[in-house]
Amino acid sequence: MTDDFENSILLAYQGGTAPDLVGQSIDVKNFADIGAIENLRPYIEKDEEYQKVNEPFTHMFEGLNAIGDEIYWVASGIRSGVRIEYNKALLAASGFDSIPASLSDYVAMAKKITEDGAAKDPVTYGIGFTSSSPFERQLEMMAQVSGVFYYDYANGRFDFSGYKPFLEAGRELVAVAYPDQQGVDNMRAQFAAGAFALWGNASQEAGVFTNQFPITDFEWGVAEVPSLTGEIKGALQTNPNKGYIMMSSSKNKDAAWEVIRFFQSEEFLVGYMEGGNDLPITAYIDERLDKSKMGRLGDYSLLPYESVYPAVPSINLTGDNYRTVLWNAIMGYVDIDAAIEDLNTRYNQCYDDDIMYGSVRRLVIRDYDPMHPSAGTAEYLDQ
Amino acid sequence: MLSVSTLDSEHLQLRPTNRPPRPVNKKMRLKESGSVAAGLMLAPSLIFLCVCSIYPFIWIFRYIGYDYNGFVARPVGFRNFTRMFSDVTFWNSVLTTFEYAFWKLIIIIPLALLMAVLLNQKIRGSSFFRGAFFMPTVIATSISGMIFTFIFATQNGILNNLLQAVGLMGSPINWLMDQNFAMEAVIILSVWAGFGNYMLYFVTGMTSISEDVYESSRIDGANAAQTFFRITLPMLAPVLKVVLMLAITGAFKDYEAIMVLTDGGPGSRTNVMFLYIFKLIFGTSTNARMQIGYGALLSLMAAVIVGAVTIIYNLVARRLDDVV
Repeated sequence: MTDDFENSILLAYQGGTAPDLVGQSIDVKNFADIGAIENLRPYIEKDEEYQKVNEPFTHMFEGLNAIGDEIYWVASGIRSGVRIEYNKALLAASGFDSIPASLSDYVAMAKKITEDGAAKDPVTYGIGFTSSSPFERQLEMMAQVSGVFYYDYANGRFDFSGYKPFLEAGRELVAVAYPDQQGVDNMRAQFAAGAFALWGNASQEAGVFTNQFPITDFEWGVAEVPSLTGEIKGALQTNPNKGYIMMSSSKNKDAAWEVIRFFQSEEFLVGYMEGGNDLPITAYIDERLDKSKMGRLGDYSLLPYESVYPAVPSINLTGDNYRTVLWNAIMGYVDIDAAIEDLNTRYNQCYDDDIMYGSVRRLVIRDYDPMHPSAGTAEYLDQ
Repeated sequence: MLSVSTLDSEHLQLRPTNRPPRPVNKKMRLKESGSVAAGLMLAPSLIFLCVCSIYPFIWIFRYIGYDYNGFVARPVGFRNFTRMFSDVTFWNSVLTTFEYAFWKLIIIIPLALLMAVLLNQKIRGSSFFRGAFFMPTVIATSISGMIFTFIFATQNGILNNLLQAVGLMGSPINWLMDQNFAMEAVIILSVWAGFGNYMLYFVTGMTSISEDVYESSRIDGANAAQTFFRITLPMLAPVLKVVLMLAITGAFKDYEAIMVLTDGGPGSRTNVMFLYIFKLIFGTSTNARMQIGYGALLSLMAAVIVGAVTIIYNLVARRLDDVV
């Protein structure tokens, strides 16, 4: 099951019915806190073949799959960062052939396509947004590659101040966007039907527009998200996946490890990736893939500036989360400056209180580099 | 002294007697009073009440002074209380809940009553319509929400197409993204999903009104309106009171369909209190953990609010009883 997966696993563990292995979509820190999951390092250290194929010590992400030296799961695959999927025919009709590098040009392009589409029957639009986490799917990622992130790792504070130009651009985009913001699948179907030209989402769209809503009436392209000035100043967030976690309650740990080895063996992974199911995270598997077999997933190959961000501390937040508030600001329901001030105050107040009550520790990465966010040294402070 | 044993069944008279009462032991008294049988019959319900209602209540409320994310519980003293009083989003959601409940009740009760009166007539097809109107009640709430996303869609939405076809509006309404219409959209959904149920209660109440009363009123020359206001409505009063109470508590607790339809938006316009509490407890926010302790406290406050509204309603209903 995928719905409320973590809660289901927790209940199963507490009830003594947890499986031997679970998928990696659970909060490692929470489960490690109660000793529910097994450190895989002893198994990995004894298995050279596994190390060669999966490069586990290279792909350790603090708080995500590892805590300190303990490794709880190892990623085989990775979901790319967000890309812009675009309708080549609609772009061409308005005199464009590619996605611009800067946000202002991108906004201008969306406006032009909507203006040109107004005379068509049916009317077509420059861009479309979903109602499901719309800020995350385009503008937040444009901010990331511009060096803007909501957590200031160097100082251990939440900081939403850098989002202002993206919210202003967002208002301009929404004004010319397809008028509905429905669920993701509904909007994918609209894009596949040619209702709008620009759509933003990650590598899962390769399968979506090939199988789920196959696009046959026009050619579609995949491009990098634009940044504020056209210059890349920060890493684009990617999500490692296809990892397996061993429950500490397992009575068959050695056998469970064999299952992990099988699903993360070279033979299995090459077939799986060439089937267009996922992108490889390791250089070893990447070199062994025949990319011509991967279909449109090949368009989503990792970019040099894509990386995994260290897990931001999970806090007891009062009120709406930042994605909701920032999208409300884009939609004009709240003032942009007021929204940013509210987030800065509320997030940091809750963070400080959580630290004071011992619920969480302050994450600081003093040598933080926005182009290589996972490269720094994480410190956890009690103040 | 009178005794039951001296009851003369033929003459239905009670005669005095000088015989001393028969000695009855405790066991027999219990048996005769029916307490054992009643206890046995109540036992399953009591067990279910304790296991499924009282125990979960106690379980969750013991965490109101804790930061509990489902894994580790840390005592935080009065922090949750201070948070609650300064939580603008929560108090706004309480106001939104009152607004939603008010409009829902204003529409759903008269509509259910009207449909019940109409379908209680001996007319052809009334059973079909009763079934059709009741049908939404048995559809899963989340499915109802999904169905209405298609109905309310701006482009190619069923409602907009219909309204445009009959000439009621020129350009399509953005039902779910416009703050001026989102509340109307969720109220339409909740009325559609709930009125069939209340209608059925009213129909059941009406069938218990004796036909003789209606016949007398017809002989006296009462018209349809007089029959409704002088006979049906007063005789339906006990059912109406129960239905109103159920509708009030139900309206204050609604959130599932709203979650699917608008997820509390646009811009918190439909963010009712139990939706906010659900999101807190299940940690659906980015970088926000499951807040079972704080959510439990807000649940307690929500229960107090719903309880207060119900008590006020009961007081008003009692006053009305006295007046009527």
